[in-house]
Amino acid sequence: MGAAGSKLEKALGDQFPEGERYFGLENFGNTCYCNSVLQALYFCVPFREQLLDYYANNKSIGDVEENLLTCLADLFSQISSQKKKTGVIAPKRFVQRLKKQNELFRSYMHQDAHEFLNFLLNELVDILEKEAQAVKSDPETSSPSDKTANGPKNAQANGALKEPLVTWVHKNFQGILTNETRCLRCETVTARDETFLDLSLDIEQNSSITSCLKNFSSTETLNAEDKFFCDKCCSLQEAQKRMKIKKPPHILVIHLKRFKYIEQLGRYKKLSYRVVFPLELKLSNTVEDADSEYSLFAVVVHVGSGPNHGHYVSLVKSHNHWLFFDDENVEMIDESAVQTFFGSAQEYSSNTDHGYILFYECLGSTSNKS
Amino acid sequence: MMMHNNGNNGYGNGVMTSASPTTTSLSSSSASANGQSTQQQQGLKTYFKTPEGRYKLHFEKTHPPGILPYSHGKSVSQITLAHLKEKPTQAGSASSSGASTSGGVRNAAARLLGVGGGNGSRALSFVGGNGASKAANGTSRSSSLAGSNGSHSMLNSNYDGKGTYLMFNVGDSLFVSDLNTHDKDPIKSLHFSTSNPICHSFDPEAKDGHDLLIGLNSGDVYSVSLRQQLQDVGKKLVGAQHYNKEGSVTNSRCTSVAWVPKADGTFVVAHADGNLYVYEKSKDGTGDTTFPVVKDQNQFSVAHARSSKSNPIARWHICQSSINGIAFSSDGAYLATVGRDGYLRVFDYQKEQLICGGKSYYGALLCCAWSMDGKYILTGGEDDLVTVWSMEDRKVVAWGEGHNSWVSGVAFDSYWSSPTSDGTEESVMYRFGSVGQDTQLLLWDLSMDEIVVPLRRCPPGGSPTFSTGSQSSHWDSICPVGTLQPAPSMRDVPKLSPLVAHRVHSEPLSGLIFTEESILTACREGYVKIWVRPSNSESQSSNPEIPVGNSSKELPPLPGKTGASSYKSVHLLIYSSNTFS
Ligand SMILES: [Zn+2]
Repeated sequence: MGAAGSKLEKALGDQFPEGERYFGLENFGNTCYCNSVLQALYFCVPFREQLLDYYANNKSIGDVEENLLTCLADLFSQISSQKKKTGVIAPKRFVQRLKKQNELFRSYMHQDAHEFLNFLLNELVDILEKEAQAVKSDPETSSPSDKTANGPKNAQANGALKEPLVTWVHKNFQGILTNETRCLRCETVTARDETFLDLSLDIEQNSSITSCLKNFSSTETLNAEDKFFCDKCCSLQEAQKRMKIKKPPHILVIHLKRFKYIEQLGRYKKLSYRVVFPLELKLSNTVEDADSEYSLFAVVVHVGSGPNHGHYVSLVKSHNHWLFFDDENVEMIDESAVQTFFGSAQEYSSNTDHGYILFYECLGSTSNKS
Repeated sequence: MMMHNNGNNGYGNGVMTSASPTTTSLSSSSASANGQSTQQQQGLKTYFKTPEGRYKLHFEKTHPPGILPYSHGKSVSQITLAHLKEKPTQAGSASSSGASTSGGVRNAAARLLGVGGGNGSRALSFVGGNGASKAANGTSRSSSLAGSNGSHSMLNSNYDGKGTYLMFNVGDSLFVSDLNTHDKDPIKSLHFSTSNPICHSFDPEAKDGHDLLIGLNSGDVYSVSLRQQLQDVGKKLVGAQHYNKEGSVTNSRCTSVAWVPKADGTFVVAHADGNLYVYEKSKDGTGDTTFPVVKDQNQFSVAHARSSKSNPIARWHICQSSINGIAFSSDGAYLATVGRDGYLRVFDYQKEQLICGGKSYYGALLCCAWSMDGKYILTGGEDDLVTVWSMEDRKVVAWGEGHNSWVSGVAFDSYWSSPTSDGTEESVMYRFGSVGQDTQLLLWDLSMDEIVVPLRRCPPGGSPTFSTGSQSSHWDSICPVGTLQPAPSMRDVPKLSPLVAHRVHSEPLSGLIFTEESILTACREGYVKIWVRPSNSESQSSNPEIPVGNSSKELPPLPGKTGASSYKSVHLLIYSSNTFS
């Protein structure tokens, strides 16, 4: 393990990014689902920085009851403050806390990385919201987390009744979808907004993420059994429905629905489809022509042919280098190696390493020249 | 076969080389822009409809089973067409050999070809297009080949007498197939033991000597005479000239090779490190092959070799990331490159200057091709779009939407003429095609009249601004950089819809070539399909003009309707190995 670390250091040489740490995570028996997601989150730089800020500010106000947020902050701070540049860390406290919190993750069974990510982000949001409420009920205490994360207080007060609190987790990951339904009789468009922390996309063989996103937003006709109740017509009507992205998130997390329930089999099956994902992406299914560019910075990869077993690894882009994290091991890989995780064009293939969760970061609205 | 048999709809057939009656009776639903998933589950059809008629699957070319690309993602099969005219055999005339191990075979072949006149020891078997005759050497092995041209009487096996060959790389091999035969199997395989062949190019204008370039994953480049390879029995290159030997110039992977049109024997090699090298095939390359360090990685710069003996003669530093595709305009005046950074760049080749270029909507660009008249460039890439770039306007004039995945091959159909065109300049139309990783072939019509350009046209004087770089030294002149356009906004570019969308293979596609008679599609794993154009009776316009020149680097200009007699063809002599034992 130590040798592997030095190998990575050698590979990076004088290109080793200043202040950056590349640490593998020990596996506590089928915790690769957790490790792969943690690495992706660690290298989500805005998230990491805000988490470390939170940690720094929370330490100053003394002991806080341990929760997933403090455990995660503790782990990230432990990694970032290592003297050595590479090595292995055991995320013991975090994993213990996770198992305590949710019995789903308690077993030694193979777990779903997307379920874990979803659970974790929602848990972090819950904790931050509870903290903010506690602060509100006791205005004497000024919480540093409030300052750093929740923006000006008056904005919060304005929308206090209607709008849910926007935490820094939201600011990173939350987007808004709008569900537009057009009644085919009266042409009235009913729009309903919903927030999301990640997008789960249906996939097709030999397609691209661009195409999957298009299908996600394609127009669907509601008819027959599935009519729409139009408030204006006051009756069930045929309608057209489509999902568009009203507010694109800063960090776009795309989950490929590779595990599909097959009714005939009565179980889940892994779809090994080849779904190509570009290193840069723009969303075409937005309400307004956004044209803002996203850049891929992490991929959680599922290795294996079935849903109930297998392994998770992650690919991470850090300071223009791509790294491969496989529990304790960290290696440098060439950017062109990313394409070996697209999937298989044929159903039965020896290649079982498939991109499962993609992390894109918005580069801002100006197109960047290379 | 590779096809999935889908039992419940009757579409599944083994895809033979001709359309089966059951499939032809089914109406084609493939003309919709978006091949939907339900359609993709069905078997592959053996034809597709266009306004001018049906294109039918004519031939298929593959490689022997069991040869799998050893490294996924590294070896994508590319296709090159070569047309060999009849001429005296030139075995042994190649200048030098980089493949010394095969020297014995080469010499033997040259001897057997009758260079030394008749000695009675010839025992040959002719294998034209049909590999089956390899086994038939008992009957044909004693034919005599007195004189360099020999007798043509035995060469009828070369199906229709045309010497058109298809080359495609798979794994560590480069295969050569006779284009105009039913035979699926290649007639020749060239094995590369050290690294995979990645790209290749044939020079239809080569007067003599080497006409085939092969670029390897290791960065090595070979030039050979295709004819000489076909005449040799071995699996190794013969009479090859080796460039960038042992990475003396660069260790970076070759991504694309091209002969410079109208510049007999000059060629360029693009690499994954963003550099492009210019070579001359006549030069030995024994001189100093090192170039100065690129000073500014972000700047286009050209460095010329220190010595006139050196080969390569120049290095073009184009970008920091991989160059994925290159294409010369048919007159050789301009060179277009596309790359990982998403930029199309167009250079004045003689002046070594960046003229114009622009960025994809997003993601890398993977392929590019010129229109015959040099007015338009097609690009395809990771934004799933086919982009039409206008040289006149120096900007993107249309986006073709229709692929469900990355666009891996584009080409203009230079043999197509609009059925309605009456030759007036007003209604200039272009037909082009694209293939993608969605396994689809799309055909498009481009009529510039129909495209409503929402933005004002760039003024004719909207030339790129040049930065005045100082000449640092006599061999390293920093060329000024032309203006590259940023990615256009979605709403600003007119959209095209495909005329035809047809799922042609079960694997992602990698290449596309238009010939006078057909469309060739290739998939990444090295299966090639030849779709014959609608027959004259079906076609509205039966007399397309044959343009001169190339529409892509891979498309040699096939001569017009020449009498079949003038195609007595290349001698395809494959010697059974026991001949030499
Ligand atoms: Zn209504």
